Amino acid sequence: MTPPPRPDATLFLASSVHDMKNSISVLIGTIQRFIARTEPENSETHREMSQMLYETQRINGNLIQLLTLYKLGNDLYPFNPETQEIAEFAQMAASQVGPLLSSCGIALEVDVEDDCYWEFDADLVNGIVVNAMNNAAHYTKSAIRLVIATVNDALEIRVEDDGGGFPQRMVDEGIAAMRGVDFSTGSTGLGLYFAAVSAKMHRNRKEEGSIRLENGGGLGGGCFILRLP
Amino acid sequence: MTNPLITGEGDNKLIANSTFLVIDDFLGMRGMLTTVLRNCGANPKSIDTASNGPEAISLLGKKRYDVVLCDFNLGAGQNGMQILEEAKFKNLIGPSCCWIMVTAEKTTDTVMGTAEIQPDAYLIKPVTEAILTSRIQKINAKKKNFIEIDRAIAARDFLKAIRLCEERAAIDKANAVELLRLKCNLQMQSGQPDKARAAYENLLATRDVPWAQLGLAKTHIQTGDYESARDLLEQLVDNNRSYLEAYDCLADTYQALGENDKAENILERAIELSPNSHLRQRVIGDLSLKTGKLDRAEKAFRKTVSLAEHSARKTPDAYIGLAKTISSKANPQEALRVLEQMSKKFDGEEVRLKAKSVEGLVYHQNGDPIKAREVAKELSAMIERSSARIDSASTREMAELLLATGEQEKGLALLQSEVMNNPEDKAKLAAVREILRKTGLSEKGDELMEFSRKDAINMMDAGTLLAKEGKFEEAIDKLRSALEKMPHNVRLLLNSAHVMIAYMEKSGTEPAMIRETRGNLLAANQLSPSESRFSQLMAKLEALGSN
Repeated sequence: MTPPPRPDATLFLASSVHDMKNSISVLIGTIQRFIARTEPENSETHREMSQMLYETQRINGNLIQLLTLYKLGNDLYPFNPETQEIAEFAQMAASQVGPLLSSCGIALEVDVEDDCYWEFDADLVNGIVVNAMNNAAHYTKSAIRLVIATVNDALEIRVEDDGGGFPQRMVDEGIAAMRGVDFSTGSTGLGLYFAAVSAKMHRNRKEEGSIRLENGGGLGGGCFILRLP
Repeated sequence: MTNPLITGEGDNKLIANSTFLVIDDFLGMRGMLTTVLRNCGANPKSIDTASNGPEAISLLGKKRYDVVLCDFNLGAGQNGMQILEEAKFKNLIGPSCCWIMVTAEKTTDTVMGTAEIQPDAYLIKPVTEAILTSRIQKINAKKKNFIEIDRAIAARDFLKAIRLCEERAAIDKANAVELLRLKCNLQMQSGQPDKARAAYENLLATRDVPWAQLGLAKTHIQTGDYESARDLLEQLVDNNRSYLEAYDCLADTYQALGENDKAENILERAIELSPNSHLRQRVIGDLSLKTGKLDRAEKAFRKTVSLAEHSARKTPDAYIGLAKTISSKANPQEALRVLEQMSKKFDGEEVRLKAKSVEGLVYHQNGDPIKAREVAKELSAMIERSSARIDSASTREMAELLLATGEQEKGLALLQSEVMNNPEDKAKLAAVREILRKTGLSEKGDELMEFSRKDAINMMDAGTLLAKEGKFEEAIDKLRSALEKMPHNVRLLLNSAHVMIAYMEKSGTEPAMIRETRGNLLAANQLSPSESRFSQLMAKLEALGSN
């Protein structure tokens, strides 16, 4: 007798994540409409709804990252680097976290090099940057800064905050420190792992994209840095 | 009709004055997209919705929409790409319409569908107001800037389009890369692979750009250097494992090099990544039928038929391939049933001729010479009455059937017309000789074909010689009567266009002759794309027409 087949969740991963994403998109739209209708802006309902929006967007972000990682692992991700106007790219990324930040009273500053164009997969990089800003929103005190500029023949995208900064171990070890789930902090390491893998997809003349963490920067808190060749 | 998005009114007015169509199978999503549009400033009365392909196509047929927001995945029936395909195919949307495809996720099927038909943008859910507004404005600005180039391309005046790309690139930094890419494509289409190659190499010297690597490989293919193309493409596919267009191009290259096994393998890999392309399934079917892998061919052709069910661009070719495959598997009844299904789905003289030819083949192949002869007689009579243009491969198949079943006179005449239409194509001439050898008619046939070939060359040269002597009217008469005998002869089509243009440059333009010249040029371009003479003559004709 052959042993019963082991259940294989990966068969359903892609299709069920796809399905969940559809529901979440509707949910996000609905919450945004509720928030727009709720007056005044400083009411308790408004604050709670904003929290709901934040959590829903986090689920959406995580689902996208899971699905993308699954596809990258199976060569199914349609990686398509295209020329992006950096100012526009930054504005789009900012618009996705704007409602959350303003409801939490966090200032957002965008500082972008003029007349700058760069080639990358806009969906992947947008995912990385929005995730980094959402993360920063969690740890910052009062402000977040998105800085994009060319540095030494590469594009550097920095997300800075004025919070307490990253633990020194993470700064030193980078993503190696983030493998596995840390249930005490609720951090899964998914975001950083996704960022590292997606950065690496961007290659040019033998150089690969990369991420790193620093403390200090323009606001004195944590800095997430994405470098694209 | 003017599209307010294109006429460049203020940004707010832009959206307020536009008409929108939202296509989504999910009521909740239709409601949400409509709300997003209203919040972007759209007039609620200008937003229509549809829940499936037929509804969308019917609305698109009644009204011109400035913006279409279409979900890619619509459950059963047509998907978003197939609606776009049908809308373009039926001319329901003009070049000014912004078609935005909304998808839940980025997949090879959605993003890298077919090269010719692409939406203006893909948006990944959730769609927000900021993103939608910015995207509509961006597409609008681009369409406005590319309008002259698009017009030149639509008129097939590639040289003018190239010039416009260059002018635009000098002032439009945001679209510089896109313009370069377009210009290189146009250089390829206008038979200037050397210029395109220089541009690709120049770009690749500073950056690894997959599309430029693919373009470079295509220039090698165009100049017949398949080995160089293969080396480049193998590397490209290794480094960009989801770049389906590169897989297809590599498969073509392997086929040209006679490496059919490798071509099959690379196509199988592409199908794993994107199982829903009916075009690629058909290529696998044709290839497997050629190499005698009949089970694989049958599977691929059946898949082609089912995938193309909702496509506006479906062709009878998969049915023909399927019928031939099944006939080769000694199942004539089933093969004939496939042909019957095909006749129900497709109409037209060309399809009827091909179906009749394959029907004869089925009987001939499966040991029924009496039926085969009957069908061949019917086919012979149909060809007599027909004016449809039949491609070379089908023409040869028909001729082979006729010769094998005793319709010798008609079969040889068909081969003669094939020779006269392609008197300078060595591969096609060899294929004709092969048919004569197989049917035991080499002795008589080879001589006949050589006579037709020389006859064709003489007729082609006669018109040109008369024109050189300045006897234009006489030359044009000669060319016209030559074209009646060999309407698909590319060099003759180009020669006659050349002479007519020279005549009009000297004696003034005539609208009828301009139309005739353009018709000949477009016919030549369809038969043999990427001829440099085509683009030069087209530019001259356009210059004449605008004077």
